[in-house]
Amino acid sequence: MAPIRVRAVGLSKTFRGPDGGPVPVLDGVDAEVGAGEFVAVAGPSGCGKSTLLNLLGLLEPPDRGEVWLGDVCVSQLSRRAQCPVRGRSIGYVFQSFLLISSLTALDNVLLAARYVGRARSEALPAARALMERLGVAHRAGHYPSQLSGGEQQRVAYCRAVLNAPPLVLADEPTGNLDEGHAAVILSELRGLCRDRGASVILVTHRADAAALADRTLSLRAGRLEPRGGGTT
Amino acid sequence: MVGVLRRLLPRNYLFTILGIAVGVAGLVALGAMAERITRFIDGGDRFVLGQISVAGEGMGMGTGFTAGGLLRADRIEQIAHVPGVAAVQAQVMLPLNPTTSQFLTLTQELILGIDPAAPAPNRQLRELPVKRGRFLRTGDRGVVVVGSDFAATRKLAVGQRLELGSGRTFEVVGVLDKTLTAPDRFAIVPLEDARDLWLRRDPLLVQVFAGGSGAMSRRDLNTGAAVSWADGVDPDDLARRIQKSVSGVNVTIPGELSRVLRQSTAFFSALLFGIGVLGLVIGGASLSNTVTAAVFERIRDFGIKRALGATDLQLLREILTEALAVSVSGGAIGVVLALAIGFIVDARVLSDGQQLFLFSPRLLLFALVFSAILGGLAATYATLRIVRLSPAEAIRRGA
Repeated sequence: MAPIRVRAVGLSKTFRGPDGGPVPVLDGVDAEVGAGEFVAVAGPSGCGKSTLLNLLGLLEPPDRGEVWLGDVCVSQLSRRAQCPVRGRSIGYVFQSFLLISSLTALDNVLLAARYVGRARSEALPAARALMERLGVAHRAGHYPSQLSGGEQQRVAYCRAVLNAPPLVLADEPTGNLDEGHAAVILSELRGLCRDRGASVILVTHRADAAALADRTLSLRAGRLEPRGGGTT
Repeated sequence: MVGVLRRLLPRNYLFTILGIAVGVAGLVALGAMAERITRFIDGGDRFVLGQISVAGEGMGMGTGFTAGGLLRADRIEQIAHVPGVAAVQAQVMLPLNPTTSQFLTLTQELILGIDPAAPAPNRQLRELPVKRGRFLRTGDRGVVVVGSDFAATRKLAVGQRLELGSGRTFEVVGVLDKTLTAPDRFAIVPLEDARDLWLRRDPLLVQVFAGGSGAMSRRDLNTGAAVSWADGVDPDDLARRIQKSVSGVNVTIPGELSRVLRQSTAFFSALLFGIGVLGLVIGGASLSNTVTAAVFERIRDFGIKRALGATDLQLLREILTEALAVSVSGGAIGVVLALAIGFIVDARVLSDGQQLFLFSPRLLLFALVFSAILGGLAATYATLRIVRLSPAEAIRRGA
């Protein structure tokens, strides 16, 4: 097996419900994903798939458990120390794109470079090349509200991979797309693993998307179950 | 400039800027009204502290200012010899409209007769500022220099003729600039002309002269005198010395008169304080609320940026830059808005000789600095609240 890129150890998360009572979402999740591996996470709505991705991506802290990137326990790092990890080592593709409405498509892509200290002039050719490959270069000067859903997702994808992160987390990236645009994004994610050795964790409801993965992790009632011969 | 602003300011900040502009406009407008009142009170204070006013022993209300008493020439000469006196200027001060409704009110218009050859006695107001035309010259007769309010209410210009009672008309040779105090309502004429006016309107004086009242001459026709003191002399001490050494005179002690004026304007001072506090609270609350709301409205964007690796410091720097750009541009628009409102309102009331607003440079500078500081503080507060949230929580809240 390829070296372990990301490891979750006993991850638990509980949210507070509308009545103030606890709503447990994840309960002691253990998982490992190797370098260059494409892993799908499946499960019914509300089972904690997005929360798992958020914890792995340091977007929120676990109540219990640890997240390791390589041989570093990143969940234990200080808030400040986690920032460069998020910026350089993790790329996110969100279901709702999460583009910044006040920035053009190109500036949204370049935003990823700004916070890791890359000069705009240095990142610009890479950003343009990515947008060209994804077929949105002609929309570089447009604002998100002027783009279609498929274009927005492709711009969001460009932003996620601009810094060539070793780990890409994609939360239902095709949920709002038609078949054609979904295929483009899935093909790109697959290509990241194959061509660059990046690890991709994909949360999806689509069977065709999950079928592209090396293995699928099934999440149910806050715990991972082995599925399709994959390992947890 | 527009390019820089476009880079600094995200889109959709127009309403934030306008919100700040409205708050700052309110602050500046209230501040300008407060400045106007302050200048009025301070101007009066400076005027009375700049000279010792002496009048003949009086006949009741208005002694020394408006023909209430007679200060004869020999008394003026005695005053000039009191040690510490630098100069004495004989004056005739008459109410333009001697009705009780206007008598000694703050808006009273006065005829002031002075001798242009005598040195200006007021140490705080060495020269009255002439806006158009010229001031009185030695040997002038039949001419008048009018204060700014006096001119505005009558739409007077240099070269026009003005009737100052008893059928006598004067040529306007000068219009004073606004001083925001007493001279704005003066009509200043040569001393001899003022004596003529006094004689024409006061039958008692005419009878005194017609009766050949031996020792009386035109030189004795003075309502008072303005006295200036030599350098290093305490004006209050000198005023008491004059009162003691010259009989038959009423001397106002500058320090005491200032205190009396301050007491009589205590209400205005309280009003001024209230307006200032109100302006700061309303303008400040509006501005900080607008900036804070604008930052919180973009909480999702900041969550995304943190997901992309932005540190607390990077976010704070970005938000502060935006907040300062928004606050300062909103502040500048607010200042322009307040100036426009002020000029429109003042243009309307100016015909009544009034001015409601005084936009001093210190007020405008204060408004801009206040906007920047408060905008910065509000943005810092909002940022510190936002960075405490996890990126995912910020994105959820902004969704």
